[in-house]
Amino acid sequence: MGLKVAIVGCGKIADAHVEEARKIAGVEVVAVCDQEPIMAEQLAVRYGIPRWYMDSGEMLAAESPNVVHITTPPQSHLALTRQAVAAGCHVFMEKPVALVHADVEALVAAVVDAKKKLTVNYWPNFEVQALELHRLYDAGELGSAVHIESYTGYDLAGEFGLALRRDPDHWVHRMPGKLFQNMMDHVLNKIVPFLDDDDPYIHAIAYKREGGTAELAPGEILDELRVMIKGRQTSAYATFCANARPVGQTLRVYGTKATAHVDFNARTLVLERKQSFPSALGRLRPPFQVAGDYLRQGLRNVGRFRRHRFHFFDGMRTLLSEFYECIENDTDPPIAYRDILRVSAIMERIFAEVYPEVLA
Amino acid sequence: MKILVTGAGGFLGVNVVERLLVHGHSDIRCFLRDKSKAGRIEALAAANPGSNVEICYGNLKSRADCERAVADAGIVIHLAAGLKGAPAELFVDSVVTARNLLEALGTRTEPPIAKTRVVLVSSFGVYGVAQLGRGAPMDEATPLENSPERRDPYSHSKLRQEQLVREYQQRLGFELVVLRPGVIYGPGGGAFSNRVGIQVGPIFVHMGGNNLLPLSYVVNCAEAIAVAATHKDAAGQAYNVHDDEMPTAAEYLRAYKKNVRKLRSVRLPYFATKFLAGRLEGYHRRSQGQLPAIITRYKAAAAWGGNTFSNAKLRGLGWRPLVSTQDGMMRTFEYLRGQSAGK
Repeated sequence: MGLKVAIVGCGKIADAHVEEARKIAGVEVVAVCDQEPIMAEQLAVRYGIPRWYMDSGEMLAAESPNVVHITTPPQSHLALTRQAVAAGCHVFMEKPVALVHADVEALVAAVVDAKKKLTVNYWPNFEVQALELHRLYDAGELGSAVHIESYTGYDLAGEFGLALRRDPDHWVHRMPGKLFQNMMDHVLNKIVPFLDDDDPYIHAIAYKREGGTAELAPGEILDELRVMIKGRQTSAYATFCANARPVGQTLRVYGTKATAHVDFNARTLVLERKQSFPSALGRLRPPFQVAGDYLRQGLRNVGRFRRHRFHFFDGMRTLLSEFYECIENDTDPPIAYRDILRVSAIMERIFAEVYPEVLA
Repeated sequence: MKILVTGAGGFLGVNVVERLLVHGHSDIRCFLRDKSKAGRIEALAAANPGSNVEICYGNLKSRADCERAVADAGIVIHLAAGLKGAPAELFVDSVVTARNLLEALGTRTEPPIAKTRVVLVSSFGVYGVAQLGRGAPMDEATPLENSPERRDPYSHSKLRQEQLVREYQQRLGFELVVLRPGVIYGPGGGAFSNRVGIQVGPIFVHMGGNNLLPLSYVVNCAEAIAVAATHKDAAGQAYNVHDDEMPTAAEYLRAYKKNVRKLRSVRLPYFATKFLAGRLEGYHRRSQGQLPAIITRYKAAAAWGGNTFSNAKLRGLGWRPLVSTQDGMMRTFEYLRGQSAGK
């Protein structure tokens, strides 16, 4: 593989893009760009990247990268994507893809029309345990999905949350779905691959927890969101929670044969199976089964640690590898455009319910 | 003359405003981002009814807010900076904001830029001490860091901030005074500087040993800023800020344990710190960052290289510490004891 990568947008998340892209053999980050020269310079200096720019058009013309990572706020994503594909680049996009669903549709269409490839940084879905879940599901081990529960916690006092709390003008506060719009991609992209409907029933409620972390944030920021989704055969609960501790990230898939529980922080996948032993014996066995599963998962994680595949953004490295390979081999991108569009459409309907005045 | 203090609601800022008032400066604009931090400034304003202590809320990321902040100010004391967070966030909060403030100064007409003084509160972190020998003296003549990417992001961002302010000074022609405090401590601040050691899980790893700790009690540091801000001889100068008496890191840790709370600590001699730093650095490289390179040999040399310090230049301006190190530590420990009991 011999790919030149350029990055547009030098905020916090750009660090992860540089670090993960560079781990892939044959990939070189040739330049970075930010309208704010101080930010472009600091990223280039910290990572020893040879050149930095303030103008993305100038960078694309000078560097001719194969892939552009767009890590700016979503307000600029559509215009930057059009510019990148016009310059002959494939696009790796940071979430959220755009402010409104119509822009996501236009963005995907621009990439398809230009015969380029796009993927979105849905990296938790490419963690080992998430990939294993999909392998089991595709092999029929779980049966068909009856119900999904996707839970994502958030810490407004954490590294990313602090930036929102300290700055009332932060771009996150200006999105139609505010804080939720910055996080719901990661809640919904775990559900959508199991969902059998392009237009499911959706009901959402959101609120600000009294005495919670949002009390310290500017304005009327809501920090708790619950969503119920009902497709033809599959239902789902999507939860965003800023106040429960520890800050978790889990996915539970209730299938007709077995139930799978993925813990993205502990990096475990555990199955709850139908018991074949009768009566009290059937109740004795499950804790040992689950304990055995956790022991095996723990040992596998030790193995991954020893092989240096236990980084925080390891899923991002896998996703990037698959994306770069699809460019090299001209195959389908690792995330179906249909799923990207469904995530965006569901998000827009959620925000219309919880912030009706914004999207009215 | 109106004095602008950015970051006025912070740990150091409130004390700077207080010292300016004590020195007889009565026209002070306090620039704050966080309205919840206005309480002590409001109390100072109420206690000094003859003075004009103005509170100006805003964000230095906003050019318009910067223009409001610098309007009519003859002295700009710039304290606001990023102290923690992701590297990008530190650069926004320290460097981008400083640039915005200076851009606003550049477009202002009154008072004239040549008669405006900018007082930048920088940091010991800007010095290239890792390249000095172990135990080397460090003063204002010590070269600035030339490999900032090898240091911690805070030091890197503070160095870039100072470089940027100097670039603007050359371009705009204002008077510049730079103060570089050591370890600012006091009630409201933290318990430990990295110079003492680092908390790793339940254990405090004490690397500082018998190195001198360049403590600057927050009131003394504020006094240094207030003195330098208006002293005619300070124009164009940089000053290291620390108190006269400096305990060793080990003495500080011992006093903390005695006066605040029990703490499980393990002492790591310098050679062992360097050895472990080298191992961690190698592992970080081989594993492509699976564990963060919190300590590298370079960072270890900068933090625990056993430098000696001098505040002679600052004393030459007439500054004297108002609170002894003994008193400062006791006041700080009393505060920390209260914090610890509240948890």
